[in-house]
Amino acid sequence: MSKIVSEEAVITRRRDLHNNYYSLTFGPIHSLSACRPGNFVHIKLPTSDIYFRRAMSVAAVYPDTNELEIIFRVFGRGTTRLATFRTGDTLDVLGPLGKGFAKPRKSDRVICVAGGIGFPPLFYLASDLVQAGFDPKKIEFFYGGRSAPDIIERSRIKKLGLNFYPVTEDGSVGRTGLVTQFVRDMIENGRKEKFVLYGCGPEGMLRATNQIGLDLSVPGELAFEAPMPCGIGVCLGCVVPLVKGGYARVCADGPVFKIGEVVL
Amino acid sequence: MTPDLGVSIAGVSFKNPILTASGCCGYGEELADLFPLAKLGGLVTKSITKNPRPGHPPPRTAETTGGMINAIGLANVGIDEFIAKKIPFLEKQKTTIVVNVAGSKIDEYVELCARLNDIARVDMVELNISCPNVDVGGIEFGTDPKLTEETVRRVRKVFARPIIAKLAPNVTDISKIAIAAENGGADAVSVINSVVGMAVDPESWRTRITNNKGGLTGPAIKPIALAAVDRVYNSQCKLPIIGIGGITNASDVVEFLLVGASAVQIGTALFVEPDAPLKMVEGLKRYLARKKLSSVRELIGKVRKY
Repeated sequence: MSKIVSEEAVITRRRDLHNNYYSLTFGPIHSLSACRPGNFVHIKLPTSDIYFRRAMSVAAVYPDTNELEIIFRVFGRGTTRLATFRTGDTLDVLGPLGKGFAKPRKSDRVICVAGGIGFPPLFYLASDLVQAGFDPKKIEFFYGGRSAPDIIERSRIKKLGLNFYPVTEDGSVGRTGLVTQFVRDMIENGRKEKFVLYGCGPEGMLRATNQIGLDLSVPGELAFEAPMPCGIGVCLGCVVPLVKGGYARVCADGPVFKIGEVVL
Repeated sequence: MTPDLGVSIAGVSFKNPILTASGCCGYGEELADLFPLAKLGGLVTKSITKNPRPGHPPPRTAETTGGMINAIGLANVGIDEFIAKKIPFLEKQKTTIVVNVAGSKIDEYVELCARLNDIARVDMVELNISCPNVDVGGIEFGTDPKLTEETVRRVRKVFARPIIAKLAPNVTDISKIAIAAENGGADAVSVINSVVGMAVDPESWRTRITNNKGGLTGPAIKPIALAAVDRVYNSQCKLPIIGIGGITNASDVVEFLLVGASAVQIGTALFVEPDAPLKMVEGLKRYLARKKLSSVRELIGKVRKY
């Protein structure tokens, strides 16, 4: 069987997470065993004004029921259409796609830096680590947004038993400010720890996280997003510039890249 | 009885008339994870240039009504790495291999094709004389009949197997360019490359791709492509035609064959349905059975016009 397959999946659960965030769980996804945190799926939206599939990072997998969950925010035409899908509807799903996050060592102290809708892949990463026996008290989960409604699934994150730090720019929940300033503080105050950074979020947050990694010599990985016509590495439409020169495909060479690898 | 899907172009046999278009299937290996390439009638590699090209800065693509605009900028590994690292994979594939080449000077087309002539597994070359997305060369070769003829003529001297000229739609009369390619010694023409287009974001007032203008592809250009194939087929140019432009399903394939294409190439549809060519092969078989036709060749040029 091919590594990547196109499958018809039925939506079994749809949740309105408010503030235009939605969760869709669907299955069966037979290729689920190949799925890793950081992977994404490419979803076809059968409508005349949308031509390409839409890339959605995986938020959770449910091996017992062969289901997969995505969480997205309504932003443009594709997500507007996706939000109209209901329980029982069928989705055409291509995946799992892309290269996921590398696993940390047991001795590492993991720092997840999630910003806005960059939350799903880091939630999947943290859940996967906890399930695999990684000490949840060695996971620092920073989650930043403009305001309280941007910090979704708080109770679900807390249930993992990790150290959770919501941060909002207006102070409506958690700490006040930018998430990256608190990440920098934690690393600077814990010099002896072997930190490893994992980030996903808006470009400014990725840039700041990348800079923290470079300034403080902390290794880590960042998950990128880009408009993707094909998602499988043939069209070369979704590239990011590399520090060493040239470009890399977000879909096939990423979406996860090492800190210091991409020009930000 | 199973219908015969085989076609022949310039003496090269294709097990079916469905090829993948240049730039839409990488070097083949990218699609091999999704389906056996042996199911394809043929595979056309992305454009190979003399030196590696990083391509244009992002954003390179924009979704448009019924298609996309792109300015990838002929990003490719260059001929040396192509021969060293990509050819060994292609050599193992049980399908017809067409290598697409692009240059900024005629000498570059000649040099590239001379090197490919030494590789027996390269069944044909396709000259990209029509890319709208490069600063030098590209489309100007394919909009000037003299340059088209001269390019093909010089390549003819160094490449022993069939040569396909890929033609641009961005001309007043595409058949004149097809005739020029034939005069130069081409064995077939691909009709059409992408149509020059533009997309603008009304919120930010920005053009949507860094190159500002790019190549429009996808279902939006299918009627333009059909008209171009028809025009070439009914001209003095007697070369076989490979139809390209917005082909999404088997009935699109039939339309192109009816107006005179001997085979087709699938491009943008691969981005939405990576196994679209396989579905088209199966759909074509069903169509031929339903129409009680024994061979796909019975469709070529049989359009009934008012």
